[in-house]
Amino acid sequence: MANGTAAAVKLSVRNVGKAFQRRGSALTVLDDISFDVRANEFFVIVGPSGCGKTTFLRIVQGLDRPSSGNILLSGKPLAGPGPDRGFVFQNDALFPWRTVLRNVTFGPELRGVPRRQARAAARGIISLVGLEGFEGHYPHELSGGMRQRVNLARAFAVDPDILLMDEPFAALDALTREAMQQELVRIVAKAGKTVLFITHQIEEAVLLADRIAVFSARPGRLMRTIAVDLPRPRALGVKRTPRFQQLVEEVWGLIAESHGG
Amino acid sequence: MSADSPLERPADAAVAQAAAPAQSARGFFRVLARPRVRRSLISLVVILAGWELLGRYVLTDRLFFVPLSDVAAELMKLAASGELARHVGASFKAIAYGMALAVVVGNAYGIALGASRTLSDYTEVYLNALYATPLVAVAPLLILWFGIGIASKVAVVFLISVFPIVISTASGVRNVDLHFLDVARAFGATPRQVVAKVMVPAALPFVLTGVRLAIGRAIVGVVIGEVFGASAGLGYLIYTSGQTFDVPALFAGVLCLAFAGVALTWALQALERRLVRWKPAPLED
Repeated sequence: MANGTAAAVKLSVRNVGKAFQRRGSALTVLDDISFDVRANEFFVIVGPSGCGKTTFLRIVQGLDRPSSGNILLSGKPLAGPGPDRGFVFQNDALFPWRTVLRNVTFGPELRGVPRRQARAAARGIISLVGLEGFEGHYPHELSGGMRQRVNLARAFAVDPDILLMDEPFAALDALTREAMQQELVRIVAKAGKTVLFITHQIEEAVLLADRIAVFSARPGRLMRTIAVDLPRPRALGVKRTPRFQQLVEEVWGLIAESHGG
Repeated sequence: MSADSPLERPADAAVAQAAAPAQSARGFFRVLARPRVRRSLISLVVILAGWELLGRYVLTDRLFFVPLSDVAAELMKLAASGELARHVGASFKAIAYGMALAVVVGNAYGIALGASRTLSDYTEVYLNALYATPLVAVAPLLILWFGIGIASKVAVVFLISVFPIVISTASGVRNVDLHFLDVARAFGATPRQVVAKVMVPAALPFVLTGVRLAIGRAIVGVVIGEVFGASAGLGYLIYTSGQTFDVPALFAGVLCLAFAGVALTWALQALERRLVRWKPAPLED
């Protein structure tokens, strides 16, 4: 995947800041964030809670507006939500009244893609995430891990330039989470997608990322970007290697530093 | 939920849904053997037998009370003469037209009210006032306006059943989980699409609750309308029978109304099961 220093820039974040007005005083949530995500890169933002990472992802999705700065996707400035980005929500937020198939066709349906075509494409994606045979099931009939697969498939179905993932595995139990992390890497590699992923779990960041951006808390600032040079594919065993531990400690050190002042 | 690995194909993960009961004679007897059905039948038999015995041996003055068998005989007589069909038809028609109008208008208004802050600021207080007012009190006025034909009954039924629908639907739309609205916005839904594809389906259980409340009120409404002025209908039958001390015919009318209430509620529950199949099914024995 991320072999490319020469790879094209997919997402370009320039001096993005966000401040809220609270009873007359301004609360800065994000302060002057700038970085590039390359095409087909798995880019992870890690930071303590309160570092503004969810706010940042919502700005990229177009659900919130930045107070300053701008963001370019494939060279074009972003304005509002759009199908060029696929959002995977933290809680799965599947529509309970729609079957798996119809949850996945939600995005294409909004854009008026003919039903037959949308369904055929959705079946392909459902099989990519390993859920073939469950197209007619309702969300309440699925386990937590399966619902997150549908959530992922729904984001894939709009064929986005970039996938935005907001701690998608935070609500899963430990075993399911590890399995889903491996699955995510497999699916993303197969589909050839660029990913912007946020998490507060350092091990998850190191396991998944090509590069990690470490945010500090209050206000959220980009402290440093770390390239993860672990070879792919990364099996779970990689967590016991010295290099993995080294990277985890490096990220830990940065976050601890930001807390220390 | 156990720690099921999502890597293996979780073929058994689906919750087993009760299959539709087999539509055969054996299936019918199996339905009768179900505890819920059996208990309902036992209570029905006890109540009907109690009525018969009460009328025969305790309240023997036929001017005030009659045994079930007399009511049944009266029903047969009314059915044979075509009178029953005429009264039931008139009431049913008024309920059907009035309810249809109330469902259409009530839901359209309820959705708009739930989705628009402005509309609710302007009108909500009057809706609540009208919902709480016993609107049967205006039935005589409606008869004055619309005559003693079906139009006045439709008006009464509509007026009395539209408010629970508006209020229930609006609160359904307001209770839509904010996450769903976020998802719709993230996928670029237009405001129209948000209403049609998120708010309405999410509010459907509330819509059906509103309709169920409205059915009970509609039955009251039609009877009141027919008492105040009509030439046919179950309310008319009950009222005129009371005036002429025809107690069996009076009970026959009341029995028909009770049956209509049960039948309409059952029909709506069946519809509800079909429309909100996506809700986890309650456990049945």
